Amino acid sequence: MTLRKLFLATISAATVMMASPSFAATELQVQRFFGACDADFGKNTDVSKAVGECGIITSLINKFAADNPDIKVNVTTVEWPGYDQLTAQFASGDAPDIVTIHESALSDYQSKGLLLPLDDLLKTVGVTPDQFTDAAKEGATKDGKIYGLPIDNWTMLYHINMDLFKKAGLVNADGTPILPKSPEEVLAQAEQFKQKTGKPYFVQNLANETALFTRNLYTYLFQQNSDFFADPKKVKFNTPEAKKVVEMYKAIYDKDYTTKNLDYAGAINAFLAGEGGVQLNGTWVVGDYNAQSEKPGTALNKGGYAVYPYPQLFSGAKAQYADGHTWAVSKKDRSPEQTAAIGKFLKFFADNDFEWSRTGHLPAYKAVIESPKFKALPHRDTISAIATLGKPLPSAVQRQFAIQDIVGEEMSAAISGQKPVDKALADMESRVNELLANL
Amino acid sequence: MASHNAEIRGRSFGDRVLFGLVILLALAMAGPVLYVIALSLKDNKELMVDPHSVFHMPYTIKNYIDTIGTSNVFSWVLNSFIVAGGLTVLTLILSSLAGYGFARLNFPGRDVLFVIVLLGLAVPEQAVLIARHQIFSWLGLHNTYPGLILPGLSSAFGVFLMTQYFRAIPKELDEAALLDNASRFRVFWKVLLPLTVPAQATLGIFTFLGAWNDYFWPLISATKKEMFTLTVGIASTQQNFAQSQGIGFLMAQAVFAGAPILIIYLFFQKYIVTAVSGAAVR
Repeated sequence: MTLRKLFLATISAATVMMASPSFAATELQVQRFFGACDADFGKNTDVSKAVGECGIITSLINKFAADNPDIKVNVTTVEWPGYDQLTAQFASGDAPDIVTIHESALSDYQSKGLLLPLDDLLKTVGVTPDQFTDAAKEGATKDGKIYGLPIDNWTMLYHINMDLFKKAGLVNADGTPILPKSPEEVLAQAEQFKQKTGKPYFVQNLANETALFTRNLYTYLFQQNSDFFADPKKVKFNTPEAKKVVEMYKAIYDKDYTTKNLDYAGAINAFLAGEGGVQLNGTWVVGDYNAQSEKPGTALNKGGYAVYPYPQLFSGAKAQYADGHTWAVSKKDRSPEQTAAIGKFLKFFADNDFEWSRTGHLPAYKAVIESPKFKALPHRDTISAIATLGKPLPSAVQRQFAIQDIVGEEMSAAISGQKPVDKALADMESRVNELLANL
Repeated sequence: MASHNAEIRGRSFGDRVLFGLVILLALAMAGPVLYVIALSLKDNKELMVDPHSVFHMPYTIKNYIDTIGTSNVFSWVLNSFIVAGGLTVLTLILSSLAGYGFARLNFPGRDVLFVIVLLGLAVPEQAVLIARHQIFSWLGLHNTYPGLILPGLSSAFGVFLMTQYFRAIPKELDEAALLDNASRFRVFWKVLLPLTVPAQATLGIFTFLGAWNDYFWPLISATKKEMFTLTVGIASTQQNFAQSQGIGFLMAQAVFAGAPILIIYLFFQKYIVTAVSGAAVR
């Protein structure tokens, strides 16, 4: 072969390779939290074998990439919740195509025109809002449009040590726990529990914490029909309804019906060691606690583990605060192929929502929540009511993560006695309104 | 051992008390580090149920395998070395030159310029963060090594430290060299710079450690995973609720992130201690 022929052959081969499908793959930049677990699931495409948030989402994306060789998915994992990074990326015009965003944070980006409304795109792949659960639909809708594909809803729950509940005499004839129906009953049952077991009724993480306080307050304000965010830019926390909630938690604290000085990890350890009756924690620990309850010799194995939504303590709406995770899409110029690839990715996650629901989060789709295989998962019969009870803050409220910190700080100060309740509520209201006034 | 015991017995009561206090302090410093290492060698699920299991068998290296198994971890280590090393070298060069200039050269506006540099010490990084991020966006410097190194080069502390050090060196040394027809740069390079090695070591250590541990600027500037530094990369691998459900993994990551610094310290221990103690007594 002469040098000229070799040169021509090389050029031809290069041309053919460049024209081949592998070189024409549409690239998607995907950014998510939930951590990295490459060592266990980096190459796994059998989603049914994956466990936990990280394992399942990694395996789902692997499966999508394997099923769609014409789409190259470039995944960047960021530290939870990743909003400093995302904001910086939007500021420098380098946002990912698809990104995980909480329903409660969607407004921060949607209000600035940074996210793509997804109604039309989802319709082209056969996903419509009527397929979502009420809670998911409400959380993902901003200004009447869908701005994130909901993949779940999560909320706080009553995780119950049934052995201690039996000792406290707080079990119905059918074996279900007796839960309070009013603030007075909370205190009465907590007193009975303490007398009978010598342990606090609640296991709460009150140290280094803001989220728990805030979620508790929102839930019991909803249950009193308090429209505290009637104006999304001006909150009303200094109200009799809020005072009732804070005073109830303060009484729980003052009468030692709760653990004190425990952080999040400490509270989990304490509950698993059987040091209290009810732990206030989220949907995400259901799987771990259930696994513990099946292990002989553990505190939860003695009398069993039960989990329920927060009890209805007031006579208003049947509701409790909920949030959820979504896949949002950044607004930028794209080719039809890229847009179609995004549609495929979102459709894949909608179709595989059952797998994601194995994390402990509630499904975002009615078909999944009503399916026998979902109902067959442990404890889903008692907690699936969240799909209708779950209620987010009004969709136009921005900076919900920052608001959560302020509300939590002030509520913590009131409950622990560092501030009078009235002063804490007044400060809570003025600090949040100052934040919202400066948007 | 016997000679050591004899040496201690020969000491005064005050020395023995001091010796005991030093041991206690050393234990107080080493205790948390040993606890972190022990936690890193335990199974996460075991720790979740019983935190006290850290004090007994079984131990495992799975958390380290998981840390190293993260696909980009070695590129993050390399990025951190390039950024911290590059920043250290460039800071030493710039601060030395600036320090020499302020200490030895007479030029119009020198004192005003020095005050302006010192004012830089009073400006917190957060105050300039948004403007800097925007400028770097316009210049296309995000997700590049210069984007991570350049912000650290404006080291007011480094210029101040080197200026003070050059000022403390007798001017007669310069004058003698100048009389021997040495150029200004030769005086700087051959005569004065070798005398500032303790200050260079101090500045170098602080600069390297600061850059190695820096988190926020890399977080918002290096947003592509290939450009993550070790701090940002390791944080990104943490799963939700890691502090309760993955504490062993979290601690293995802490050991992994701190290990390079520890290795550097072991190699340069004598030099670093001399440099820091020299800076402290000066």
